[in-house]
Amino acid sequence: MAAEDLPSEFDVVILGTGLAESVVAAAFSRVGQRVLHVDRRSYYAANWASFTFNGLLTWIQEHHEESQPEEAQDWSSLLEEGEELIYLSSDPASISNVQAFCFTSEEDEEEEASSPDPPNTTEEETGGANEDVVKETSETESADLKEEETKEKPEERADGAEKEQRFTALNDGKSTVQTDVFRPITQASKTDGKEPGADQPTASAAQSQSEPAKKKISYAQLVKEGRRFNIDLVSKLLYSRGSLVDLLIKSNVSRYAEFKNVTRILTYRHGKVEQVPCSRADVFASRQLSVVEKRKLMRFLTSCVEETEEQRAYNGRPYLEFLCDQQLGDNLQHFLLHSIAMVTEDTPTEEGLSSTRHFLRCLGRYGNTPFLFPVYGLGEIPQCFCRMCAVFGGIYCLRHSVSCLVVDKTTNRCKAVVDSQGQRISCSHFVVEEGSVGTDWKMVTSPPRFLSRAVLITDGSILPSDSDQQVSMVTVPPIAAGCPAVKMVELCSSTMTCMPGTYLVHLTCQSVGSAYEDLSPVVTKLFRTPESHDQENCPSVLWCLYFNMTDSSGLEVEGHHLPSNVFVCSGPDGSLGHEHAIKQAELIFQKILPEEDFCPPAPNPEDIIYDGDNNSSSMGGEENGGAGEEENDGAGEEEEEKKEVLEENDGEEEKKEVVEEEEQSLQTEGIRLQPLETGSGSVGGSDSCSPPAGSQISRRDAVQTPEQHTASTHNPQRESASCMMGN
Amino acid sequence: MAGGSVSECKEYLFKVLVIGELGVGKTSIIKRYVHQLFSQHYRATIGVDFALKVINWDSKTLVRLQLWDIAGQERFGNMTRVYYKEAVGAFVVFDVTRGSTFEAVSKWKHDLDSKVKLANGNPIPSVLLANKCDQKKESSNNTALMDNFCKETGFLGWFETSAKDNINVDDAARFLVENILANDKGLPYEESNGDRIKLDKETVAAESKSGCC
Ligand SMILES: Cc1cc2nc3c(=O)[nH]c(=O)nc-3n(C[C@H](O)[C@H](O)[C@H](O)COP(=O)(O)OP(=O)(O)OC[C@H]3O[C@@H](n4cnc5c(N)ncnc54)[C@H](O)[C@@H]3O)c2cc1C
Ligand SMILES: Nc1nc2c(ncn2[C@@H]2O[C@H](COP(=O)(O)OP(=O)(O)O)[C@@H](O)[C@H]2O)c(=O)[nH]1
Ligand SMILES: [Mg+2]
Repeated sequence: MAAEDLPSEFDVVILGTGLAESVVAAAFSRVGQRVLHVDRRSYYAANWASFTFNGLLTWIQEHHEESQPEEAQDWSSLLEEGEELIYLSSDPASISNVQAFCFTSEEDEEEEASSPDPPNTTEEETGGANEDVVKETSETESADLKEEETKEKPEERADGAEKEQRFTALNDGKSTVQTDVFRPITQASKTDGKEPGADQPTASAAQSQSEPAKKKISYAQLVKEGRRFNIDLVSKLLYSRGSLVDLLIKSNVSRYAEFKNVTRILTYRHGKVEQVPCSRADVFASRQLSVVEKRKLMRFLTSCVEETEEQRAYNGRPYLEFLCDQQLGDNLQHFLLHSIAMVTEDTPTEEGLSSTRHFLRCLGRYGNTPFLFPVYGLGEIPQCFCRMCAVFGGIYCLRHSVSCLVVDKTTNRCKAVVDSQGQRISCSHFVVEEGSVGTDWKMVTSPPRFLSRAVLITDGSILPSDSDQQVSMVTVPPIAAGCPAVKMVELCSSTMTCMPGTYLVHLTCQSVGSAYEDLSPVVTKLFRTPESHDQENCPSVLWCLYFNMTDSSGLEVEGHHLPSNVFVCSGPDGSLGHEHAIKQAELIFQKILPEEDFCPPAPNPEDIIYDGDNNSSSMGGEENGGAGEEENDGAGEEEEEKKEVLEENDGEEEKKEVVEEEEQSLQTEGIRLQPLETGSGSVGGSDSCSPPAGSQISRRDAVQTPEQHTASTHNPQRESASCMMGN
Repeated sequence: MAGGSVSECKEYLFKVLVIGELGVGKTSIIKRYVHQLFSQHYRATIGVDFALKVINWDSKTLVRLQLWDIAGQERFGNMTRVYYKEAVGAFVVFDVTRGSTFEAVSKWKHDLDSKVKLANGNPIPSVLLANKCDQKKESSNNTALMDNFCKETGFLGWFETSAKDNINVDDAARFLVENILANDKGLPYEESNGDRIKLDKETVAAESKSGCC
C-alpha cells in the first residue's frame, strides 16, 4: 500500500494490462526477467476488464466526460547525451458512442402494480455521478406513442463517482403523465472522424407492458446487487482446444480460474430462436431435424474432418456455394454456415471448412459445445496472468503510466522509460498497449475498424428451457441486407456475472454504423424493450449499454516507427476466440527471448507440504510411488530447487507433494510429507467445492524460492514419473 | 467452501490471505507456521502462490489451510481479484517496531472488506498480528487500546507474534480457523459451483457433464 519509488531498472516494462500484455508479463516473469507492469487505469485488464454494475456506471461516466489531453510534461531534463524522447499518447480513444438506457423502474414497485407512476422528473442525484439513464416509468398503455426527443443531454456532473448512481428521468415537457420516455443519455462520442457515425438515437416513447406478469427487477435493485455483476467490455468465449485454453493449462495459470461450459448453441431464424444441434447426441435428440436431415448432417460433419479433393475444388469460392452443392437443405445450411462455421455468406470455402473443423475438434472436450466461459467473467483472465507474473516477482502498479521513452539516437533502442511521476526507469524492452501509442508512431496498413457492442441485463432467457442456468452462444445472421452478423452470448447467474433472476447478454459485431445503429434493431427483435412490439414472450431488457470499441486485429507487434525493442500489443478483436492476443503475446516473447520456453508450468503450491507438527495421519494411507522431478525453470541465474515428489496413484488424480529444501542451518526434521487427500475424483467431493486455488492442478514443478538458493545444496532429485500435461 | 466428506472425516479447504506492508514478516509468519522455519534473509517470495498447512483439527475434521502470501503486487496495493477471490479468512500483519506499518493496517482492512465478502455478505473473519514482538522495546501496555482498535476496525482479535521466536503464531492460526469453521456451519453449500470446470481436470469434468459420478 505504501507508495514508494519503483526500482529504477527492469528487464521489461509493460504498459497496459490487457490480455496480450498480461500474458507477455507472465511469460517474462516466469523465466526470471524483472518485469514492471503498469496501467494508467485504476483497474486491471484495460479494454478486457469486467465491472460490477456500479463499476460499469462509473466507467460509462468516465467515457462520457471530455477527457482533457494531459499536458505533456517536458522530461527532457532527464535525457543524457545522445538520447531523445518519444512521448506516448495519454488518451487512447478506443471507446466511443457510449449510450446507456434503463427500461425498468427506478425503485421497487410494490403497491403500484396497477397504478401508473407519476412521471419522474425529479433529479435524484445524490450529489454523485449523474447517471443519465432515462427509464420507463409508466405501467400504463402508452404504446406506439413515439415522441421525438431531441434534447441535449444534461451537463454531466462528475464528482463522487463512488456514490450510488442514480438516473434521472428526463421529461421534455411534451410528455404526458403516461408517457414513458427514454433516450440515451450517456453518450460519449470521441469523434476523430474515423469512427462510425455516432447515432443520436432520438426518441421513442416507451411501450409499456399491458399486464405486469411478474414484478420487474428495479434499477435500485440492480444497483443494490451491483456486486453480483461482472460485466465484460469484451465478449468472447474460449474454444476448448483453442490457444488460450492450451496456454492456461500449459502454464498452470488455469489454477486461478474456473469455467462454465457454454451449454447450447442457438441461432435466430425466421423470427425465432432455435437450438443448433452440434454434437452427435444433439443431432439425434433434435426435434427440428428430420431423419433424413440428421443423416445428412452426420455424414457431412464426419466427412468434413478430412480434407478432400472435392473440397479443394471449391477453394476461393464461397463456403455457402460448397454447402449448397452438398444438397443439405436450408436448415442444415443455415446451421453449418452461421452457427458452426460462424462465417458469412461470402467466406471462402477453405476458411469455412477450417472453422467448421475447429468447432468440431473442440466439441466434447469439456462439454457438448466447443466453448467455455470463465466464472466471474472474461476480465478474470488477464488478471490470472498478472497474478502469475506477480508471483514470480513482477511488480504491479495501477494508476501509473509511462509518459515517454528514452531512445538512444545511434542505436534506435529504447534505453529507459519515464513514468508518470517523472522517474527514469531503465529497461531492455518495452511492451505497450496499442492505445498508448500515438497515431504518428504507428504503421497502420488497413483503415481503422471498430466493433459494436451491446450489453443487456434481461429478466429471462431468450430460449427458456428446463434449466434456468444455461449459457448460450447465439448467432444472429444479418437481419437485413447490409446489416452485420451478430454474435450474442447469454450468461446466467451461475457464471457469477449477473444477479440471480437476471441474464447478462452480450452482443458483438463488426461496426457498420454506431453500436446503437448496428445492434438495437437486433435487440428490438429479440427482446422486449419500449421500442419493440408484439413481443410478450420475449425477455424484457431491464438495462442496456451500447458502445463502440476499436478493433485492432490488423495491428502488427513491430514494424512501427518505434525503437526496435518496443513492441505493441493490440486490444480486443472481433473474433469469438482469443487466438489473436495469445499469438501476439507469444510472438513478442519469442522475439525478445527466442531461446526461452514460453510460459512453462508454474510449480504447484499445493505440492509443497510442510507438515511439521503432528502425524501424517489420515488421508489416504495409500502407497506413495516415490518420484521426484527436477526442473530447470529457465531463470538462468537461479539455482534449481530440489524437492521430492511423492506420487499417489489414485484414480485419475495425481497427488504429489514437494518438499522444499530447508534453508541454511535450520533443521527440517519436522517436515514430513503428507498425502493431500484421497483422490476424490468424484463430483461433489472436496474438489468441486474448493476455491480456485490450485488444488486441482496436476502438473508438478519445482518451486523456486530464492531463500533456498543461499543454501548451497544442490542435490539431484528423483525424477517424477510423469508430469501430467493438460493433454 | 465445505469439503466433501471422506468417510467419517470432514474435510475443509480454506483460503486465508496474509496481508500487510512490505517487510512486516508475512512471509516469515507463513514459513514459521507451515514450515517451522525462520530466516533472517529477506527475500521477496518468488514462485509460490500459497503455502498449504494441513491441520488435523479433531478426530472428525481435517482442515487444509491455504495461506496466500502477497506477491509482487503488495508494494502498491494493487492486488488482482485472483488474490482475493473466495478467501474465507485473513491475517493483517504489522511490525511492532515500525509505527507506519500499524497505520497502514486500517487501509489494508478496508481494502480487504471492499474486495471480498462471505457468501452471506459479511466481511471475512480477520485477525490482526502485531509481529516481531521479540523486538519490542518494553512491554508497553496498550492491550486495551488494541482491543478497542480491533473492535472499531472489525478484527476478531489480535495477537502479538514473533515469527522468529515462534510466539503465538499457532495460536493465532487456531483462533482464526475456529472462527472460519463457525462461519462455515452457517453457510449454505454453494450448489452452483458443482459444475464448474477446472481446466486440468478434463476427464472429471467430462464425466460430471454426462452425469455420472
Ligand atoms: C480485487 C477485487 C476488486 C473489487 N473491486 C470492486 C470495485 O471496485 N467495486 C465494487 O463495487 N466491488 C468490487 N469488488 C467486489 C466484488 O466484485 C464482489 O462483488 C465481492 O467481492 C463479493 O461480494 P458478494 O457479497 O456479492 O459475494 P458473492 O457474490 O456471494 O461472492 C462469493 C464469493 O465469490 C467471490 N467473488 C465475488 N465476486 C467476485 C469477483 N468479481 N471477483 C472475484 N471473486 C469474486 C467473493 O470474494 C466471495 O468469496 C471487488 C472484488 C475484488 C475481489
Ligand atoms: N526479529 C524479528 N524479525 C522478523 C520477524 N518476522 C520477520 N522478521 C524479519 O523481517 C524481515 C521481513 O520479513 P518478511 O517475512 O520477508 O516480510 P514480508 O515482506 O511481510 O513478507 C525479514 O528480515 C525477517 O527475517 C519476527 O518475528 N521477529
Ligand atoms: Mg513477503
